[in-house]
Amino acid sequence: MRYEFRVTGSVSRLMAEAFPELKAEPVPRQTLFSGAVTDEAHLYGLLARFQDLGLSVEEMRRLPE
Amino acid sequence: MPPSGFPLSGDGRGTTLAWSDDPLLAAKFTVPAAPRHHVSRPRLLGRVGAGTHGPVTLVTGPAGAGKTALAAAWTRDGEPPGPVAWLTLDPHDAAPGIFWSYVVEALGRALPRSPGGISMPARPGSVGTSLLTRLAAATEHFPGPVVLVLDGFEKVAGRRVPAGLEFLLDHCGPLLRLVVTSRADPLLPLHRYRAEDRLTEIRGADLAFTSHEASALLHGHGLKPGDDVARALTRRTGGWAAGLRLCALAVQRTGDPDGFTRSFTGTEQAVSDYLVAEVLDTRPAATGELLLRASILDRLHPDLVNALTGRKDAEAVLAGLTRENAFVDPVPGTPWCRVHPLFADVLRAQLRIRHPALVPRLHARAARWLAGEGRVTEALEHAAEAGDWQYAASEAVRHLLAVAMFTAPDGERIERAFSRMPASVPGAGPALLAAACRLARHDRAGCRERLTEAGRHLRRSGKEPTPEAGLTHALLCLLCEPRADRQTDGRADGPGPDRQADGPGPPGPAEEAARAVADLMRRMPPELIRAHPEIEALRLYGLARSFLGRGRLAEGRRLCAEAAGACTTQASLPVQHLSLGLLAVAEAAAGALTAAEDHALRSLAVADQCGAAPDRRSGAACLALAAVACERDDQEAAHRRLGQALACRDVHEDPLLAAEAAVLRSRLELALGRWETALAALPLPGAGDAPWPAQRLALTRSAAALARGDHEAAAVAVHGTRADGPAPLLALARAHFAAGRTDRSLRLLARAGNSPDLSLPDRVGVQLLRARAALQAGDRAAAQHLLGRALEAARPERLRRPFGDAGPWLRHLLDGTGGTGPAPAPGSWLTARGGADLPDPVQPLSGRERDVLLCVQRMMSADEIADDLSLSVNTVKTHLRSVYRKLGVSRRREAVERGRELRIL
Repeated sequence: MRYEFRVTGSVSRLMAEAFPELKAEPVPRQTLFSGAVTDEAHLYGLLARFQDLGLSVEEMRRLPE
Repeated sequence: MPPSGFPLSGDGRGTTLAWSDDPLLAAKFTVPAAPRHHVSRPRLLGRVGAGTHGPVTLVTGPAGAGKTALAAAWTRDGEPPGPVAWLTLDPHDAAPGIFWSYVVEALGRALPRSPGGISMPARPGSVGTSLLTRLAAATEHFPGPVVLVLDGFEKVAGRRVPAGLEFLLDHCGPLLRLVVTSRADPLLPLHRYRAEDRLTEIRGADLAFTSHEASALLHGHGLKPGDDVARALTRRTGGWAAGLRLCALAVQRTGDPDGFTRSFTGTEQAVSDYLVAEVLDTRPAATGELLLRASILDRLHPDLVNALTGRKDAEAVLAGLTRENAFVDPVPGTPWCRVHPLFADVLRAQLRIRHPALVPRLHARAARWLAGEGRVTEALEHAAEAGDWQYAASEAVRHLLAVAMFTAPDGERIERAFSRMPASVPGAGPALLAAACRLARHDRAGCRERLTEAGRHLRRSGKEPTPEAGLTHALLCLLCEPRADRQTDGRADGPGPDRQADGPGPPGPAEEAARAVADLMRRMPPELIRAHPEIEALRLYGLARSFLGRGRLAEGRRLCAEAAGACTTQASLPVQHLSLGLLAVAEAAAGALTAAEDHALRSLAVADQCGAAPDRRSGAACLALAAVACERDDQEAAHRRLGQALACRDVHEDPLLAAEAAVLRSRLELALGRWETALAALPLPGAGDAPWPAQRLALTRSAAALARGDHEAAAVAVHGTRADGPAPLLALARAHFAAGRTDRSLRLLARAGNSPDLSLPDRVGVQLLRARAALQAGDRAAAQHLLGRALEAARPERLRRPFGDAGPWLRHLLDGTGGTGPAPAPGSWLTARGGADLPDPVQPLSGRERDVLLCVQRMMSADEIADDLSLSVNTVKTHLRSVYRKLGVSRRREAVERGRELRIL
């Protein structure tokens, strides 16, 4: 399954590297992270990692396959 | 009759968790010191203070919001209502056994002089529902309010720890006050607590700094910003405490608050991203390099960091960073410190980009330093990260950790570390670890294969293997069920029914392996052996399996009981869980139903107590309970328990348990009259099957064939197996009887009836078949006499199945046994569902307690029960608590289930 996370503010390459499994793409005032998520445990792990890094997730959605 | 159970010396009590003098462990109970430039926040201290009047205070917010700082500041300066027990949680504390033993230790430290009447349950060995009930009871005797602070509750996410906490909150006395800090809402019924006004919440928005507080924080860092700067930074960071601190650090460097604020508020970059880059980039290069290399660690020790950098300045650099209060937090009372997670992840990513080749080398160095400090599990994890498998395996073998993989609380960590080891790594150590990993996944064939390879390496190396390697090899060999080659097999297992029970026979490979383990144990330092009681327990358990597999039930049961009794530490509880479960299975098969039930329930309690994860639990106990229910003709319970057993992996993978599960499924189908499905439930005999499970399957196949009316197939099924013991004689006797060969049948019954190994169900079966033969011969009095003896034998265990299987002739005969006298018919218990003739496995409930339990069964709340019984709510709760204690349960649903099982309801 693929997910997309919309995070507040633009995120530098350095911080985006903390998510090697996701692709980061800048959009106005936000950054879109997207990529394959293995399972629910991975999903919650990603959310915790966003939280660890002080990034706030504004929106999260599952992408159509 | 077989003995109904073995007294167990260990009894699950008296085991203690050794509180090692590890300073990192002590630090968990220490209130973190106030950071320099701490901003006092009276508005929040007041709210925590008010919260600790009610039972629960919840502080939630994102990382760096200041949750821990608030709780620590309140503990220091907020005038708590009584002693404060502090517990900092780590991700490894999520197992309930570990979590609750920490809670008990924290409370014990906060109440050093427990006045008379408080018996702190200071035995983590008895953690579990009974510990929670005792803990709740102990809180009633607190001399005054006691505050328990659980810091970082999100680390023990999952359902089981919060479920225990919910139970404690529902049953503790009014003097226990709880403060929980967490990044995520804990899985507690917060809505209910809110509705009952038992919860004070301090959430992210409350924790956010006001511009006034932000200004105080900046002042604390020696800055004198204008009001507009403080307001702008507060708005930009959303009052995020960690962000404001980073702002202060950045401004300190540049000395230009206005300029910094302008560029910070002018950019669209994410707050944390901007600040982290700002703070890291302005560090001196040497500090940056040190942080980068240390980023592979969760916790930093100056010496360890020196080992990674090859320099000597770690202590000074870390002390400087701690002083600046930037992103390094000391672990109180120890030289260790932690990097704030905000930076840890960024630094790790940076290291991966800049020096990818360095990462494994750093892990390898960390592994060696940690191993030298005796932190072996952490060392193994780093060695695994480094791909340094030779080193990892040799350390694991040296510390007997290949064996601890099944038992120790951190066994899962060890297994996870080695699960990524490629099969191509050569050498005895890696082969032993690979074998242990396979066995942990119940892959016995894979384990044997790797063990053979390990044995080749051990022999080829030319010199004597170390005792640790030898012991690991021998113990794993024992546990994975060594196979003798064909000829010795035939000899050891005896050729026919006449040979059984005439002595132990030549030692099989299992006994040889067990003897090798015992020899090697004697050659090892006694303190090492004392520290690992699980080794002896596993040796006995392995030996027990081998005896059971060969059908020597009495020895197998004795060894299971000895193995359970040898488990005296927290680390050996999983072996106790296994041994009690297997003991219960063997007892259920022998018809010792009461003992089987008792040991199975204890096995389940031990699993709860050591916090075994569901996928590491053995289904043996549930299987035994299913077998007991089946023997007692309680189909519904049998189906339910069998379902629970089949949810465990080992019931599918372990040949002994898989055979018992198939036997049970077949019997349950047979009871429904579905002969074809009953036959289909039994796997076809395989060449490698151990004799006892093979025999159990064959006899069940025979019974199913006979139920279908096919006496020839019934006899063939018995002939197809090695026919040890009296059980096959009985099956043959049944087949011959069905074929009308009564004389032959009776001769077989006489031989079976004389055997000392006759199990209770078989003895009852022999008497019933004789009774039937007598009835057929027209001797009704003799038949009734035999039936009476069968009933007498079966009654103590409430064994009903042989009577249900016997057929309709029995009912007519039963009707006659009562005679016309005033005494109840001897067969009345067969159909009775009451508890009158039950032994009392638990302390009996008082009348009131039973009333309360009846109300609980009707799903009534404590208030409703109080109304209904005209009691006070507190009295109802007291009754409930003692019901829980007596039944050994922790929640209402379990109490009702257990009450039904024990026929109290």
